[in-house]
Amino acid sequence: MTLFLMHCGLKALSVTVPAQASANERISFIMHCGAEPRIEGSGTYTTQLLAGIMVPKSWKARENAVLTFTSPKGNGTMRMIPDSEIEPVSGVNWHQAAKNMFGIGPNLVDDFEWIIYRSTQSYTFVNNEDIDFDVKVECNVGAENMLVRLGFYVGSSIENLRPEDTDYKKFTFSNVFEVIDGEGDLIDFVNPQLGTIQPVKSLDNDIITLTFNGGVTNTVLDGVNDIYLRVKAFDDNDQLIGEVNERNDKTKLSSIGGKRFRIDIWPRGFFAIEKGIHIARLEYFFTDADGTKTVGYGNTEDPFKYTFRCE
Amino acid sequence: MKTKQLIPMAFMACGFALFSSCADELSNIAHEEPTKEITGSWKVIKLTRNGEDLSQRLNLNDFRIEFKEDGTYTIAERLPFVLEGSGAYALSDPQYPFSVLMTAEGTDEEVPVNFQYPVVKGKRQLNLTFSLGCSSTTYQYSFERENQ
Repeated sequence: MTLFLMHCGLKALSVTVPAQASANERISFIMHCGAEPRIEGSGTYTTQLLAGIMVPKSWKARENAVLTFTSPKGNGTMRMIPDSEIEPVSGVNWHQAAKNMFGIGPNLVDDFEWIIYRSTQSYTFVNNEDIDFDVKVECNVGAENMLVRLGFYVGSSIENLRPEDTDYKKFTFSNVFEVIDGEGDLIDFVNPQLGTIQPVKSLDNDIITLTFNGGVTNTVLDGVNDIYLRVKAFDDNDQLIGEVNERNDKTKLSSIGGKRFRIDIWPRGFFAIEKGIHIARLEYFFTDADGTKTVGYGNTEDPFKYTFRCE
Repeated sequence: MKTKQLIPMAFMACGFALFSSCADELSNIAHEEPTKEITGSWKVIKLTRNGEDLSQRLNLNDFRIEFKEDGTYTIAERLPFVLEGSGAYALSDPQYPFSVLMTAEGTDEEVPVNFQYPVVKGKRQLNLTFSLGCSSTTYQYSFERENQ
């Protein structure tokens, strides 16, 4: 069996993404790509088209996104690859494999999922059969206000997600996309935040990580090496049900480099919350060892806020 | 018996002896298949959240769980867990072959907690996997027996 040498593969991927959309709007993104098959001799290359998107989990794109493609060789609707199907090289499903491979790009906080789709038809190419094609993604942008950069991928099914492949695997991240007129505070995935809590979606029984990023802007805590957490817990009725205002091992953040500090807490234990009572939200500051220098939201005297929610 | 006959017979005898001792070894191995014995006091040696290792970042000293012979369990107060307080547990439910069924005291709800029972570096470990709050976040606790 002669081994046909393949070069070029797919063309560079570009995407058309509007600058913003209103919450709950159904919007279209277009991926522009193409194929440049270079096959020696009289060989052919047959494959199915793969395409993927990286979107916030809150958009529930698995349920509502529709991907279609148009090309000189045919048009079609793509099908989401089932969770049960394993990507051969990584040994995990395609969506997890893509998440592991492409990550979250320029976004700083992870509440994203990659979703990979495949054409139902196979397409056969001969040498120099260069074509352009578009993949259109239609999906709902969810109810939350946010700043986000979306991810896009185009690939060839027979190449799988081989790590070393750069010819048949094209991916890119969009410019900043904004969702406006929605619920809740702005979720900013893109700009470094002075204070963040991860996971983005948690309840009071989760273990959460609070990070102070002193590199974002000049604050009164510049040059301070011992940073502490001061925090209040409120229930659904805005009643104060817990408060920790001490500076010791329990509240001290650890330096993780780059002027960033971090502490992990289990809120129910941290505030010694009794059975049957639940924390709805937190308000917190970062302080020095005396508690006199404090940094709040946006470097103001207002506290950082975090609401416990799963959806 | 002449020596010439003795030697092959000796070899055969050795062969038989070896074979039967192998068979003994094999049957011994077959009988020593370990059962999933989780009674005892276990301490957390590793904790991950969605794969992220939090073991060095949290003080795990107080993280303990004890499964008693009478079918009850207790957890240390400072242990973030899928259930609050002590309760009862059951293993080997054919409907949930890879779970410990745990019921907190004062409740009726039986919670299946996914578990694995590997031997790591010669030591028996108990790995429990569950969500604490949002289902999008999964924690895995690796326990080792106390006073091992």
